[in-house]
Amino acid sequence: MAPPALPQGRWLDVDGVATRYFEAGAGEPLVLIYGGNFGTGDSASSAYTWNLNAAALAGRFRVIVPDKLGQGETGNPPGDDYTMAAVVRHLAAFMRKLGLRPAHLVGHSRGGYAAARLAMLHHDLARTLTVVNSGTLSPGVGTNEVALARPPHPRGSREGVRWVYENYSFSPAAVTDDWIDTVLATLALPKYQESVRKMEVEHLAARLFLPELAREKRETLQWIADGRLQRPVQVIWGFNDRTAVIERGMELFRLFAAHERDTQLHVFNAAGHFPFREHPARFNALLAGFVARHAGPP
Amino acid sequence: MTAVHLLEVAGVPTRVLHAAGRGSPMVFVQGGVPGVSPWVSGAHVWGDALVQSAAGHPVWVIELPGSGATGLPAGELSVEMLGAHLAATLGALAIGPCHLVAHDLAALLSLQLALEAPQRVSALSLVSSSAAAPTGDGVENLTLAHPPAPLWSRESQRWALERIVYAHQSIAATLLDACVAAAGAAPHVEAARRMRSGEHEQVFAPSLLRAKARLFAALRDSGLTVPTQVVWGSHDPLTSVEQGMWLFRAIAARQPAAQFHLINRAGALPFREEPAAFVQVVRAFADGLGLWVT
Repeated sequence: MAPPALPQGRWLDVDGVATRYFEAGAGEPLVLIYGGNFGTGDSASSAYTWNLNAAALAGRFRVIVPDKLGQGETGNPPGDDYTMAAVVRHLAAFMRKLGLRPAHLVGHSRGGYAAARLAMLHHDLARTLTVVNSGTLSPGVGTNEVALARPPHPRGSREGVRWVYENYSFSPAAVTDDWIDTVLATLALPKYQESVRKMEVEHLAARLFLPELAREKRETLQWIADGRLQRPVQVIWGFNDRTAVIERGMELFRLFAAHERDTQLHVFNAAGHFPFREHPARFNALLAGFVARHAGPP
Repeated sequence: MTAVHLLEVAGVPTRVLHAAGRGSPMVFVQGGVPGVSPWVSGAHVWGDALVQSAAGHPVWVIELPGSGATGLPAGELSVEMLGAHLAATLGALAIGPCHLVAHDLAALLSLQLALEAPQRVSALSLVSSSAAAPTGDGVENLTLAHPPAPLWSRESQRWALERIVYAHQSIAATLLDACVAAAGAAPHVEAARRMRSGEHEQVFAPSLLRAKARLFAALRDSGLTVPTQVVWGSHDPLTSVEQGMWLFRAIAARQPAAQFHLINRAGALPFREEPAAFVQVVRAFADGLGLWVT
């Protein structure tokens, strides 16, 4: 059976950055924000990450999946601003340009960090927040670099990419050829190769991206601890994620729960870093219930 | 909208509440140890969560022996007896595989049923259950250690219920009315008499340990084939989040379709304290498993 396709991609100029996004359905706006970042040479996220969820959820909601700054087919950061702050600014500008009313933000992994940051900087854009397996947002030790260090295959090769996603996942069967094809297609884009060059050859990852993320993460965790979110929030976690272990999700839940009455933690067994890909039907049902419960005025 | 039936199950009058609907049935089973818990249980504990969870689908609420209006069968007052009566009641209803939503002690009974007769259970939602969770040589829980006399009076039950929830405001007068009525009903009076005359220490408490040992061995050795979720309150005074997580871990070891959910600012009665969040989680599980499809 063919995997559910995303709708035809659309394009929007966002502060001079050609931005690709997908949109389907009507009703409550739901913005799905995938993980990763620009310039990684052995894996590459894109809107496709949500292909098992977007179509199903579009039956009830207006689902929007943007390609983040420098990722998927969206253009690279202007002025070499390869930072998470630029990613968050771009997402906010994208949502404002689309004229969305307050949306349900769903962020996975690094996208969970971006979504939380977005919600706490732009409360008028956020109705609820859902964070999925985000080591980037959680306090504690991330184990990506332990679990995924130096894939034993040529960099960016099909085998190498498959190895990375299999190690992210609970079941190797979750890593479909289709998924790998999409990652390889993104990796092959000249603008993506340029971002890899910037991050690795010009060392922007070590000089700029990671230090800036660490600095802003300190501030972000402090904001959560201060109760700055002020929106209903749920933390969803794949139980078997080796890169962001369950204890980190639990800790993130506690951080939010101290201030937000409406906080939930949901754990999926037999799921790694991508629970929405390993158990799409139950994940979609859970997310739909949360969004419906917090629907805004019509 | 709810019809009340008094069934004769294995010779014991058994009260069952029912809301008609179409599709896969959902069955709620309440917690509380009959004749022992300082608040008296029955169908009334569920509150609005019942009707909201139904969403047009058939719902049944079973009252276990010694609670509400369900009598006590002959023989020992043990976990095995309660489990057997639950199985017999489901058999008498003849409703086919159902989604069991079970609180506290009933979670242990429902797990046992799902292990022994998986064809009768389509899904399990286990709620705030110190009975089913590993005890783990924890320290004595003092939450309900010294209830004010007279036991099971309105004030004493209010004291107990307020202590097991996150916010005392969630204990409504209607709940207290129902608990007081249940305390005066013959099944509870009889259960209390028997438990006080030594059956709690001699029979029930050992049966609870036996049932837990059976449960964890079965989860470890053969595993549970029924999709199961564990739902816990973040501030349950009777059982810790870690205990809930370990129950989930024990189930998850062999059951891929296992989920764990933590509801914030809820104690031991999350379905009354945060009904909207509770209903959302229970319905989403059924939705995600395709149980609503008629």
